[in-house]
Amino acid sequence: MMLVPVTYKGGVYRHNEIMDLIEDVGGYIVQKHVMASEVVLLCFMPKDDVEVLRTAGKPLGGEVIDSPLVGTEIAVVSMSLEIHHLPHPSCDIAEYLRRLGAKSNMVSLARGPGKRIAALNDEERDVINEHDLAIYLLGNFENCIEKKMPFLRRGIDVPIVLCGGPNKEALQRIIDPPVDGYVGNVGRFMHRTKESEELAKLDEVIAEITRVLEKKRIALAKDPISVSPARLMDLIKEKVPRIHEVTSPTPLTVQMDGLRVKLPYDPFAGEIRTIEIEDGIKIGNICELTPSRMRDYIMLKIRPFSETNIVV
Amino acid sequence: MHAVEYFEVECPEPLGAEYYKKITNDVLLDHNLIRMIHKLHIYVDPGVPIFIAVGVLHKITTLIRVRDFAAVNALAGKIMLVLSEETYLAPMLKIFLARFGQDHVEQSDRFTVILRDVSVDAREIEDIVVADPSESVYKDLIYAFKCIAPEGFRIRREQYTKGKFFFVASEDTLSADIGALVQSKFAKMGESMP
Repeated sequence: MMLVPVTYKGGVYRHNEIMDLIEDVGGYIVQKHVMASEVVLLCFMPKDDVEVLRTAGKPLGGEVIDSPLVGTEIAVVSMSLEIHHLPHPSCDIAEYLRRLGAKSNMVSLARGPGKRIAALNDEERDVINEHDLAIYLLGNFENCIEKKMPFLRRGIDVPIVLCGGPNKEALQRIIDPPVDGYVGNVGRFMHRTKESEELAKLDEVIAEITRVLEKKRIALAKDPISVSPARLMDLIKEKVPRIHEVTSPTPLTVQMDGLRVKLPYDPFAGEIRTIEIEDGIKIGNICELTPSRMRDYIMLKIRPFSETNIVV
Repeated sequence: MHAVEYFEVECPEPLGAEYYKKITNDVLLDHNLIRMIHKLHIYVDPGVPIFIAVGVLHKITTLIRVRDFAAVNALAGKIMLVLSEETYLAPMLKIFLARFGQDHVEQSDRFTVILRDVSVDAREIEDIVVADPSESVYKDLIYAFKCIAPEGFRIRREQYTKGKFFFVASEDTLSADIGALVQSKFAKMGESMP
């Protein structure tokens, strides 16, 4: 069963029926937002049943939108937490990503600013590597980006999308070895993105991220993971009641090949490992659980079929 | 409002200069400083690295008086001030407390101040000078240029004399001949360093 990420937007009235439908056809709800009289469901649906959801939502005024960013966790890497980079453009981009279904985390570097002194420490490197993708938001000068980037990307294994002031061709020319995606003309600015051409730039950032993530999805499909992260999310929700006490908006953050479980590692990792998925196969058999560098969360990475010989 | 007569950004990277012009404009507008600038020349060279801002300010003659931000109404035995904004509330209260004493000054809410049994008329209250913006303009300008300059340029030198200022920032130690470079930027605006 092929699951596709979609967003359902509709009224609160009878939205429980929509949630039941998603679960009945084997889909998973990743996140639910209720805003006044509107409800937004970020979910994974079996590909063949998306039309069923669309038809069911129509009488309720609901719409179904393809959202390739649902089920991804993206690191927005900002050079610092100072006014030079925040709230624009870092927050604008992070917020736009969230609107389109991604879970974005802002990673601000301790030694990001400065051409000569820019560096990445081990904690920052590990936190970035826990994500599906990292967007680097750099400044306006070619000279700086060229000098800084080799230090800022050292040890980063996840795909990188680079945003900077110079145009895309210039970014491609100065970055060696190349990164996975480039968006030019999005450097440092000091105003909120609200003009149409600025919003078009944000759309360009999204399009580039989607393209890079699609490439990663294709690579993952060649050696598929042993279980869907969304299925594990549902299972942990069912078997670990303490997850319902977590106040974070996403106690379980779905990634492309894993999950971030927002429970402390020491008391809960063992319990999660022993949860049975199906036919005696436990989470510990097909997943690797490690302590996250982000607080004391648990990082759960699903091993591929080639390693486990299991697909559930 | 006075207009900016000269505003240029010089940079070896033309696109970078364009971005910095926008950044400067946004920051000065946000900080309400653009109306004070008469001439401004910015030079950024990330290769060195150096950021220089030199400029001339308009003469600031405006003083902030009570009437600029409050409606003063004389009532029986008291004067009531209704404030339209809070910016100058604290310095105004400080002046009132020092002049009339605590027993005669009452603040019923954020936007209302009542003066009881004072021997001055409403007109006199309206004319009281509360703030002189020229005193803080230097501090505000330096803060604004700290926001405009590329991040990481932590070595700074700044000066403000007779309505002219310069702000120099770099990531590295500033060279000894920085004065000559600043002078050359003033010359581009047809001015000389104070």
